[in-house]
Amino acid sequence: MNDLEPAIGIDLGTTNSAVATVRDGVPRIIPNRSGQPLTPSIVAIAKNGKKLVGALAKRQAITNAENTVFAAKRLIGRRWGSKEVEDARKVLPYTLVPGPDGNDVRVELASRVYAIPELAAIVLAELKADAEAWFGRPVTKAVITVPAYFNDGQRHATKDAGRIAGLEVLRIINEPTSAALAYGFGKQVERKVVVFDLGGGTFDISILDIGKSVYDVVAVGGDTYLGGEDFDRRVIDWLTFHFAKENGGVDLREDKMALQRLKDAAEKAKIELSAATTAAVHLPFLVGGGDGRAALHLDRQLGREKLEELTKDLVDRCIAVTEKTLKDAGVRPSQVGEVILVGGMTRMPRVQKAVKEFFGREPCRGVHPEEVVALGAAIQAHALTAPQSGASEVLLLDVTPQNLGIMVVGGYFQTIIPRNTTVPTSETHLFTTVQDNQTSVRIAVLQGEGDRAVDNELLGEFVLDGIRPARRGEVEIEVTFDISADGIVGVSAKDVVTGLQQSITVTATSGLTEEEMKRILDERVDELLEKKQTTHDFDLRKERAVAALAEIEGLRAAVQDALERTRFGKDAVQKAETVLSRVRQALDARDASGLASEEESLERTLQLFKGLAGAGRGSGPR
Amino acid sequence: MADVADLIDQGIKAYVAGRVGEALRNFQCVLELDPGNPRARSYLLLIHGGAAGLVPEPAPARPPPSAPTAAAPVPLPGGGVVPVAGAVPLPGSSRPTPRPVASGSPAVPLPAPGVATEHTAATQFDQFAPSPWDEGPAAAATFVLDPDGGLDLQAVADKSDLRPLVPDVPVPAAQPARKEVDVWMQAAKELFALGDFTGSLELIEKILQVDPDHGSARDYLRQNEATLIAMYESKLGPLAGIPRLAIKPEEVMWLNLDHRAGFLLAQIDGTVDYEALFALSGLPRLDTARILANLIADGVVTT
Repeated sequence: MNDLEPAIGIDLGTTNSAVATVRDGVPRIIPNRSGQPLTPSIVAIAKNGKKLVGALAKRQAITNAENTVFAAKRLIGRRWGSKEVEDARKVLPYTLVPGPDGNDVRVELASRVYAIPELAAIVLAELKADAEAWFGRPVTKAVITVPAYFNDGQRHATKDAGRIAGLEVLRIINEPTSAALAYGFGKQVERKVVVFDLGGGTFDISILDIGKSVYDVVAVGGDTYLGGEDFDRRVIDWLTFHFAKENGGVDLREDKMALQRLKDAAEKAKIELSAATTAAVHLPFLVGGGDGRAALHLDRQLGREKLEELTKDLVDRCIAVTEKTLKDAGVRPSQVGEVILVGGMTRMPRVQKAVKEFFGREPCRGVHPEEVVALGAAIQAHALTAPQSGASEVLLLDVTPQNLGIMVVGGYFQTIIPRNTTVPTSETHLFTTVQDNQTSVRIAVLQGEGDRAVDNELLGEFVLDGIRPARRGEVEIEVTFDISADGIVGVSAKDVVTGLQQSITVTATSGLTEEEMKRILDERVDELLEKKQTTHDFDLRKERAVAALAEIEGLRAAVQDALERTRFGKDAVQKAETVLSRVRQALDARDASGLASEEESLERTLQLFKGLAGAGRGSGPR
Repeated sequence: MADVADLIDQGIKAYVAGRVGEALRNFQCVLELDPGNPRARSYLLLIHGGAAGLVPEPAPARPPPSAPTAAAPVPLPGGGVVPVAGAVPLPGSSRPTPRPVASGSPAVPLPAPGVATEHTAATQFDQFAPSPWDEGPAAAATFVLDPDGGLDLQAVADKSDLRPLVPDVPVPAAQPARKEVDVWMQAAKELFALGDFTGSLELIEKILQVDPDHGSARDYLRQNEATLIAMYESKLGPLAGIPRLAIKPEEVMWLNLDHRAGFLLAQIDGTVDYEALFALSGLPRLDTARILANLIADGVVTT
């Protein structure tokens, strides 16, 4: 038994999430409490007010679309009004609202407004609970993965989500780096690795330069609206079309219950077709027949060839994006040393074939594409918590995820601290004025990869005024960037001659204020206490019920005797058996309220058994 | 290619809405934009009942819409690409005059926003002559034989557009008199007292259709519903119990269910408990409890 506190790696995905750990030196996925390796990243408030997470939330995502939050990862750390948020608003069925300061994004769910990190925290808390159930002890330490293109704000928001979920986030690492770690790359040979990640909702392609424990994500590309769900939609369209043709134009997409079942079945069939050549879609009583007629069934076979035909253009799009990303990065397919497949959609044989044809080599196999990112995160978590285990060679350093710099004349972006610089770090650059007698300058601090300032994230700005009047170019302004080990960025601007100075401290924010964070954490404590109380309540009732059941079992023989001697009491005992069965079910299900509702009946049953047993002994042969 | 996807989507929607002509035009339009598009060809085949000869040959490819000029790289004045090292003047100060520096180019104006060139596929529809199919799918045979070989009179009536002498839309019934409502209310109370909560609920619902604000009826509605929910739930056992299918999956087809029961039954997979089913169903609790209790009573589901 390992005495170290367990550490976990979490792949917090747009569509699905997974949690993994390293046990006995072997990275492994921790199944959720339903036994599944993946947990849908979905949170819902059901129509009956119950909070649902994961598979259950997914199963009512269409029938209760307005109160079901999926793909919250698209919104985490984003600013209200940004292009990404505007794009998401067009397609998401739930309501987005601006935060109190009008800056970040919130979700309105069943009349309550949630910050995005709160919603991500619900998924993380579910994964944490799964891990705790698997370990049988509390788990707090975690490494969480994020896309390589996430900026500081998005990373900070993810970290906040972990904090709300009760996790100590040891490190945030890039998803493609995590996948490469899972394959053990980076220990010896230097090479270029491409991570082809086709998930449920997004497609990401990353090019990494790996070697001697350095994992440099040199280029990323992708399509944030291309994923497995597009493939599912094609199957749904095809099924709907056939159904309409066969049933007088009945459009299944207009019936939410039918569409929910259709979507589940389409996804299932698509997954089956990765292993089989045909899949049966069988949905009895799918939709009302209308005018009192019997409900209609859907029964159809889908072949792999048909699926490939229906989705050919989607696969082609993936390859086109890959080609463009490589071209932009100046990398030829033949220069790529390894190709790692990530995401459930890469299990589709047609996708694998397309990747192989494009790169002219077989993609890496061996690690499950849906688990590889979580496994890499688990390896990193293990390296951080058990350095004596020899895992330090895969220990990643904290680096700046994107270029940091300022806006310069013409609206351009001047990098001061380049991407992948190990923190803490400090860098100084000299600038000059651009006008005669210019007395002030505005320093806009930006982060990103774009050449133009507007293409990057504005982290903060300040003005240095009181500059001595001089001809343009004669005044030198020294701009210094300091990044602390905690990721706090300090920027100062100084007139070199006069020593006049202004500065700003930029702390990445998730959009949550400290007060909000405190309120959320307090609420979480309340929830935990309530849960603990429920558990305590169940334990007390269980103790009483188990004692009563034992006493009843002890009387059973005497009661049997009594029933053989008299015709009275048989009906009552039959009813009592039903009560006993319900009590046992409540015990099995750890249902405190179920036990509470049966307590009185159980007590009456006990009295009945005592009475019958006494009568049996009293009238027995002497 | 986004246009192609839109057109295919519009085609599918048009077909299922019965606008076959529009669907055909959409798919043909796709083939003009993307000759040989397998989805469009596949759907055209399906519309034509699988007769391959009816699918038009791919039209010669049209020249693609002109590429947005903004997508082309914008040359930087002076040929340099290195951002200038200069501080930015504050808004409101005198007109900026970028200063060339030795290490890079002077300020470069931001490129103008790209001019979007929307594909106007919709206008292409006007090139087609009106189709007789525009109004809906082609009519099926008027005379329909039922499985036993006889004439299906109902189907004939439906398909032939013949109407019986008596209007098939019932004339709205006259509003029941207040007295009738009182009689129903009294009957509902008596049924409630006798323990016939379903009967009582039916009458209450009838009253509320006539008088949605009937206070007494509302009270009895709540009481009936609460009692019925408790009754049905008592048949389920502990709500944390996990229901399972008690028959073989292939036997489900032979049941007599409506689509709501079909939906609930599809959710029963041996992993979700009753409480979760109430949350998943999206139906009122009474309806869910009633359906589940009936499934248990019919031996379809067991805990």
